Amino acid sequence: MEQAVVSGHQLETSTGLDNRKLLMWVFLASECLFFGSLIAAYLLYRDRSVQGPYPSDLFDIPFTSVSAFVLLMSSVSMVLALSSIQRGNRRGLQIWLFTTAVLGILFLSGQAYEFTVFHHEGLSLSRNMFGTTFFVLTGFHGAHVTVGVLILLSLFTMTLQGKITQEESLPIELAGLYWHFVDIVWIVIFTLIYLIQP
Amino acid sequence: MRMNRRTLSRLVVAALLLVLLALLLSGCETDTPKNTFAAQGEVARDQRNLFYMAMWPAIVVMAFVELGLVVTLLRFRRRRAEEVPRQVHGNTRLELAWTIAPAIILLILAVPMMSLLFKLGREPHKDDFVVNVTGVQWQWLFEYPDLKGADGSTLKSAPGDPVIFPAGREIRFNVTSMDVIHSFWIPRLGGKLDAVPSRHNRFWLKADQPGTWSGQCAEFCGKDHANMKLVAEALSQADFDAWLKEKQAGVKEFDGAAAAVPTSAP
Amino acid sequence: MATAIGRQRSGLAEALRAAREAAADGRGIWSWLATVDHKRIGTLYGFTALFFFVLGGIEALLIRIQLARPESTILNADQYNRIFTMHGTTMVFLVVMPLSAAFFNLLVPLMIGARDVAFPRLNAFSYWTFLAGGLFLNASFFTGGNIFHGDLGAPDTGWFGYSTLTSTKFSHGHGVDFWVFGLQILGIASLAGGFNFIVTILNMRAPGMSLFRMPLFVWMALVTSFLIVFAMPVIAVALFELMFDRLFGALFFEPAAGGNPLLWQHMFWLFGHPEVYILILPAMGIVSEILPTFSRKPLFGYPFVVFSGVAIGFMSWGVWVHHMYTTGLGTVANAAFGVSTIMIGVPTGVKIFNWMATLWGGAIRLNTPLLFAVGFVGMFTIGGLSGITHSMVPSDYQQQDTYYVVAHFHYVLFGGAVFALFGGAYYWFPKFTGKLMNETLGQINFWTLLLGFNMTFFPMHMSGLLGMPRRIYTYSEGQGWDLWNLMSSVGAFIIAFSVAVFIVNLVLSIMRGQKSGADPWDGRTLEWSLPSPVPHYNFAEIPHVHARDDFWHRKYTEDEAGRPIPVVAGGSDGHEEPDGHGIHLPSPSYFPLLASVGFPVIATGLIYDYALVPVGAALLLVGLYGWAMEPATEEAL
Repeated sequence: MEQAVVSGHQLETSTGLDNRKLLMWVFLASECLFFGSLIAAYLLYRDRSVQGPYPSDLFDIPFTSVSAFVLLMSSVSMVLALSSIQRGNRRGLQIWLFTTAVLGILFLSGQAYEFTVFHHEGLSLSRNMFGTTFFVLTGFHGAHVTVGVLILLSLFTMTLQGKITQEESLPIELAGLYWHFVDIVWIVIFTLIYLIQP
Repeated sequence: MRMNRRTLSRLVVAALLLVLLALLLSGCETDTPKNTFAAQGEVARDQRNLFYMAMWPAIVVMAFVELGLVVTLLRFRRRRAEEVPRQVHGNTRLELAWTIAPAIILLILAVPMMSLLFKLGREPHKDDFVVNVTGVQWQWLFEYPDLKGADGSTLKSAPGDPVIFPAGREIRFNVTSMDVIHSFWIPRLGGKLDAVPSRHNRFWLKADQPGTWSGQCAEFCGKDHANMKLVAEALSQADFDAWLKEKQAGVKEFDGAAAAVPTSAP
Repeated sequence: MATAIGRQRSGLAEALRAAREAAADGRGIWSWLATVDHKRIGTLYGFTALFFFVLGGIEALLIRIQLARPESTILNADQYNRIFTMHGTTMVFLVVMPLSAAFFNLLVPLMIGARDVAFPRLNAFSYWTFLAGGLFLNASFFTGGNIFHGDLGAPDTGWFGYSTLTSTKFSHGHGVDFWVFGLQILGIASLAGGFNFIVTILNMRAPGMSLFRMPLFVWMALVTSFLIVFAMPVIAVALFELMFDRLFGALFFEPAAGGNPLLWQHMFWLFGHPEVYILILPAMGIVSEILPTFSRKPLFGYPFVVFSGVAIGFMSWGVWVHHMYTTGLGTVANAAFGVSTIMIGVPTGVKIFNWMATLWGGAIRLNTPLLFAVGFVGMFTIGGLSGITHSMVPSDYQQQDTYYVVAHFHYVLFGGAVFALFGGAYYWFPKFTGKLMNETLGQINFWTLLLGFNMTFFPMHMSGLLGMPRRIYTYSEGQGWDLWNLMSSVGAFIIAFSVAVFIVNLVLSIMRGQKSGADPWDGRTLEWSLPSPVPHYNFAEIPHVHARDDFWHRKYTEDEAGRPIPVVAGGSDGHEEPDGHGIHLPSPSYFPLLASVGFPVIATGLIYDYALVPVGAALLLVGLYGWAMEPATEEAL
């Protein structure tokens, strides 16, 4: 019994999971440690700023709630994208993929706006512990979202070229896993950093 | 023929181990300046005794394993090329035993370990003699917060001065750093404590008798880490009172070696 | 689909395709640059790590020359600090980890009956990124001015880089920056490898090979890979934080602003302790293969050894503070971690007895691989026992940061890991070259290494307990340390001689070693069922596995008393060896190499000139894009 080693056409694996799907899960598990360390640094330094501005001075919870909601909705559109192609609906895939990317860009715009406002209020990397930990944590998250948006737009282009089909929809599923993870990380950050004030 | 070889190999191994042991023990308790075994303080002594409690079982295990390996290799050497032994896969009871037994021994060792740990970590006593230690690249500064100098400010040492305290009394050291992490260590009195910037660590030591000992920074702190040395002097109460009076009278030249006490060369 | 892509990117694509076809022939340097074959990648890892081993060894010799006598002036403080920093960093990240990667690459697919790893191009990417990181890190030597005048630019803050020493305030120049970026690049390489082997081991086992029928080496590779993918992100974050502090004025470790210097230590050791198990578990796996083969008995208590390996994997996350007992975290913290550290000694130590029991009752062949494996058991025991003494927290207050610690970790990492890796080299050399390494030279290698190693490191127990701190470029006379240091220095040169013997043996054996055949050692695991050297496609037919040590069971059955009876012609299937026609194999690719070149360029840009950053990023992105877009395989061979 031969086993083709071509990853795209993996027919039989010992776990039954496609190699690439297993890879994505392991990668996301590893990313939990990455974001966990950054979040831990933020929480450790939460009340250690020697000078302002402080979170309570700067946080606009209504605004950030809206951008968090936008990101949450982008996960919904991502689910819709995947279910579309799994039912053979290529048009639906295109629409919902594009929507997800747009919502992601909207979220990033909100982040950029927030960063700019905070910066005008005097917050920077070297201003205080809040600035250091906040910008690095949310900056890395934003970088992950950006990479996600780029992947989504690449996939969107591939769908226009007809390269994603009902049988070959794994890339969408993998992108979805990554996107949902990035969203969940934001839920955690939003809760721990914005909502739960000591 | 086999008998002789086995005995001979065992003798050789035993001889090697004895030499090893002799080497080991020759280091113990010689009067060298930083010998952690030549304890002259209560803390160093307790720490050394705890070490022995772990060291002797460790040596026994080591001897068993090394000897066991040599004996096994000699006894079960393949003598014929086609020799294939019985395929033994394991013995659950034996494996459980050699998992549980070491665990129990280790947990037993944990008892004196915890006891000493809490003793060393105890809260400060009111009658401790306090010394504030500050590490700064690459020297040690000492301040005596309970002692006032001629001008009414707390007594401080000049860079390079020894740290001075009364013998036979518990000395509370508050240790911090002004720049990078250092570590304050007087081996013959006890273990070390790191000097961390923005942190105030503390521990206690006690010198049995008056004496002079050397210490050294024990956390890599940059270029001249190797030269960041210190001298500790414990004085008898009489000598300490005399020293204090001199300091308070504003004697500019701080000479810690004024009292003639037996020293271990730094 | 493949040809459609080709037509779209005409000129460049044609040239690349021509180069790829040349590479696919397997000849010439280009085939090595584009290889995705796990056996070649393993070979590349092995030779590169050997080169760095010699480099790190020279650094060690310089250290020992300087410390042979008190108040020596052969190296000044600045040079010494850079050399010991590079020695440690090199040995951990550029030698032992890559050597483990080499063995994983060479053996895991063969042992599980696969034709390659799950992601061959990711595999190549791991290697090239490792090479990039290693070269980048060592390039720092040249950035301090005139290297021939002894001005070295290498990092000088120790392999552990404690803050606040690593801040720009206390570390001028770019040494620390090279260290930070070098380790980040190496971390990416390790992560990629970790991901690859987890998926490979979980997903690509031959039919019938359940997890408990895997060779123990594969189990250790699996646990190690999980440790890598969970531990490397932590140090990556720590390094990012240090990088942001140094480059952009962040305050992560700035005490005046509220930063905590100990945060670095917590993060470093949260990574660092699992890291030491990353270093030792593969070696334990190697020993667990060699001892059964040369005793002709199965590993004693395979399930126990598996469970203890997994247990160590989990428990390694709960002991990190034992590197920080003297930092003043308080009695309760020290007590808790003291107990957890004591407990981790149990699964570690239990294995020693399992290995001894494997030998006991066997028919032991005393040649070089076996000797190294037994040497591992003997030396690792000593290191493990000194580790137990470290776990007695209050007495560790004396031992911490002394040469006693240096003795401990060299016994487990050199006497342990390195001995096992030497043993593995001798053991599996025939499988990949078809030749045996010279046994006489091997014996000389082993015995001189055993002698030199013990002479170098055993005295350090003494000098440490006599109060000699670590990381000092010189020491005064009259401390009682002179004799021990001199012994260590003499021993170091004996080690150097031994390593030279190994290299000579390696070269001679490659050139004209005695033919080994497929199964020179009467092995137990699947790789020995293949010809030596292993064909490009590994298995002509993927085997169906019926038992643990499946190959052994094809060669021997057992009577009621458990005595093995050889099966006639059991080592071969009896019918003709099928060849590799019709087997789809992954195509070679240059994109992993291209992508990995981006990293050191980005790093150089961040240190010296931001204009380089987009250049490096472009290389990385083009490499990644090409990799993503090219098909994984061409048509069948």
